[in-house]
Amino acid sequence: MTRPPNPLPTLLRTPPMIAVGLAVLLLLLGELVRPGFADYGQVTNILRIAAFLGIVAIGQTLVILSGGEGIDLSVGAVVTLGAIIIYRFTGGSDALLLPALLIALGVGFLIGLVNGVGIAWVKIPPLVMTLGMMGVVKGLILVYTGGRPQGATPPVMKSIISDPWVLGIPGDVFIWVILGVGVTLLLQRTAYGKALYAIGSNRTTARLSGVRVERMLILTYALSGMFSALGGFVLLGYLQNVFINLGDPYTLPTIAAVVVGGTALAGGMGGYAGTMAGALVLTLVSSLLITLGLPEFGRQITYGLILLVLLAVYGRERRLRG
Amino acid sequence: MSETLLLQAQRVSKRYGATIALQEASFGLRKGEVHALLGANGSGKSTLAKVVAGVVAPDGGEIWLGGQAVRFRNPLEARAAGIAVVYQELSLVEDLSVQDNLWLGHEPPARFGRVDARAARARTEALLGLFEDVAGPRFAPETLAGELPPDERQLVEILKAVSLEPRVLVLDEATASLDGRQVERLFGLVGEWKARGWGIVIVTHRMEEIFRVADRATVLRNGQVVGEVRIGETSREELIGLISGEASRALHSAEARASAPARRTSPLLSLRVRRGRKLRGLELEVYPGEILGLGGLHGQGQSELLLSLFGALPGQDLSLRLEGQPRAFRHPSEAMRAGLAYVPGDRNREGLLAARSILENFLLPSWKSYHRGPLLDLGQARRAALEVGEKLKLKFGALDDRVTSLSGGNAQKVVLGKWLLRSPRVLLLDDPTKGIDVGAKAEFYQLLAELRAQGLGVVFYSSDDDELLSLCDRVLVLLEGRITAELSHAELTRDRLIRASLGVKEVVSGEP
Ligand SMILES: Nc1ncnc2c1ncn2[C@@H]1O[C@H](COP(=O)(O)OP(=O)(O)OP(=O)(O)O)[C@@H](O)[C@H]1O
Ligand SMILES: [Mg+2]
Repeated sequence: MTRPPNPLPTLLRTPPMIAVGLAVLLLLLGELVRPGFADYGQVTNILRIAAFLGIVAIGQTLVILSGGEGIDLSVGAVVTLGAIIIYRFTGGSDALLLPALLIALGVGFLIGLVNGVGIAWVKIPPLVMTLGMMGVVKGLILVYTGGRPQGATPPVMKSIISDPWVLGIPGDVFIWVILGVGVTLLLQRTAYGKALYAIGSNRTTARLSGVRVERMLILTYALSGMFSALGGFVLLGYLQNVFINLGDPYTLPTIAAVVVGGTALAGGMGGYAGTMAGALVLTLVSSLLITLGLPEFGRQITYGLILLVLLAVYGRERRLRG
Repeated sequence: MSETLLLQAQRVSKRYGATIALQEASFGLRKGEVHALLGANGSGKSTLAKVVAGVVAPDGGEIWLGGQAVRFRNPLEARAAGIAVVYQELSLVEDLSVQDNLWLGHEPPARFGRVDARAARARTEALLGLFEDVAGPRFAPETLAGELPPDERQLVEILKAVSLEPRVLVLDEATASLDGRQVERLFGLVGEWKARGWGIVIVTHRMEEIFRVADRATVLRNGQVVGEVRIGETSREELIGLISGEASRALHSAEARASAPARRTSPLLSLRVRRGRKLRGLELEVYPGEILGLGGLHGQGQSELLLSLFGALPGQDLSLRLEGQPRAFRHPSEAMRAGLAYVPGDRNREGLLAARSILENFLLPSWKSYHRGPLLDLGQARRAALEVGEKLKLKFGALDDRVTSLSGGNAQKVVLGKWLLRSPRVLLLDDPTKGIDVGAKAEFYQLLAELRAQGLGVVFYSSDDDELLSLCDRVLVLLEGRITAELSHAELTRDRLIRASLGVKEVVSGEP
């Protein structure tokens, strides 16, 4: 009844592996056109930038996996809010960092919870609900800061997040890897993860097998909010400063990272390892395009084209193996 | 080759990884013939149908059509050549109307090169008219396909193939979700189509259907053809022997009604519905060790009744007692915790996670009990899944394969098997043997007998009257959401069952 172990090529043709392969290729390409692109220092820098995107994209991965056109457009705004809460609440005091972090995570969780309730109970489409929430959070930020965030970054954040831990690799990269292992375990090795894939694949089946679909959705959007706030914490540690639209540029790239990582937009298929690879690819592409000195519009076009090509390749692979 | 043959498959082979779906399988279909394709679950019947339909490209072998070798690169080419196939897994577009589904991909015959809306409507109505009186009131051109119950969707699939006016019509388990009257009507039509010279291939696991309608049969076992017989010259035993490769004695005995009559103690489960969705004032009790059948035509509230027991239709005016205790399940998870299990009637829409593995489908209702600390014990989960798979003789590649790689009957075993992992006290079954082969059916009956001996209560709806007659202690017949008859012991006969289903009044049902 058992089948001989799958030949390597099939494994290599899964989307996350394609993404990793592409990342290596991009690195080599960069080195070729601009020697020095693949230097150790450069690579750690790229990793660090990918880490921000990757951490913010944790929530997006969960939400997209949950299916039902799941998407979270409020991640960017919650990143900003999370950073601002820590910045203002600590006022630069190390001692207040832990409570401030907990408050930021709690607020992120609550915002996501409201998203989830709107989507699961009131049946508002996720796109509409989270887009609305993005506006609300931005409004809250304005009210909370008056447009000019006051406060300071606790010094200890610098040593946790931007200073190298070992081998010149900064802390946020380690944080990312630890989170990556944690989220992958959450998805593959817990009842929550199994139920998440189930509701993404077929909600009727899930419900008739005892999965509380609405509760799962609410929890998942809440987690997305919490991970976005965590992204704000990491970003603040790196920048040591906040501004009012700090997180905005991350919203759409998180979706791109999830998709490039091979998670199906329809839900129920994919994982966080893919998103990590996707975040790397996207970061490499932008670095490469900047290195090449392409103007902004050229970068946007190339970026878009790469996404389209990858999606076409994945679609083909799925059909072939479907 | 021989001119009398309309369609011929010659030494067709197909592998999926290490699974051999077909191995040099050959069969020939004559004009005006009904040819049954038989075999156990996973023996390659659907794969052969898909090769003929141009859906699956064979690794080897040839297809001959009317004396010419053909090679279809896609289903459209096969269709153009006059081959229409009703696939085992339904394929209607749920958001399109019945009429649009019927003509999807081919327009109704048009005059002056334009689709004439009125003519199209008339053609559609003529087609639906074939089954009108054995379907519900919503069986109409403008109804959305997704709103039809499974049996009526199946009828639309059949009509969609018929609308092509094919030379060859393949029906892959098209009767599995139809009730007795619908099957009767279909077979009447098959007789007409046959007379017109169509060649018809039918795949079915119901023996009586083969003897009712087929002229010849080709039997597959593990992808190989093991026999071709003329129906007039064979027996049920011979066919079962060919299909299973064993003497049919064992299979037969298990089908007999489990002997132990239910001990009339206090009821395990009792339900009283005052007003519900599709249900109107009814009461029932299930005793430990009893198999309670639900009979009647399709869509008379049987599914709603089972769903209500399972807590999946909240907001109805009903009261439920489990072992005497009043219970109100607001969600299936609550019913599950109380020891209920439910096998839905539509495996693809309600029973399977198509995108996930066999393992995850098996364990979906039980993951929580495999937590060891914060993480799941996947090793133990795999062992449990393998054990159930073995018990049900599941034919599969690996536990991590997509559940869609299973044959139809094997997928049904997964839908059923996931509840065995939980050792329930009450089993609610909505047509659970749909598409399951004779051997596995016998084993399933055996399993039911074992479970009832342990004191389980079973509520069982089947579209197959024979199953109700041979398995159940008692059958409640439903008509328009009410129980119109309760048949047991000597009253439980085919005749009574059919009469009650149709609402034919009985002359006082005293002692027989
Ligand atoms: N897409 C696929 N990928 C992998 N294996 C497959 C695929 N399709 C079919 N198989 C395997 O090929 C074998 C034959 O399957 P097939 O669907 O033809 O069986 P069948 O005779 O129609 O069975 P059933 O009576 O259960 O419908 C099975 O073992 C099945 O698991
Ligand atoms: Mg089949």
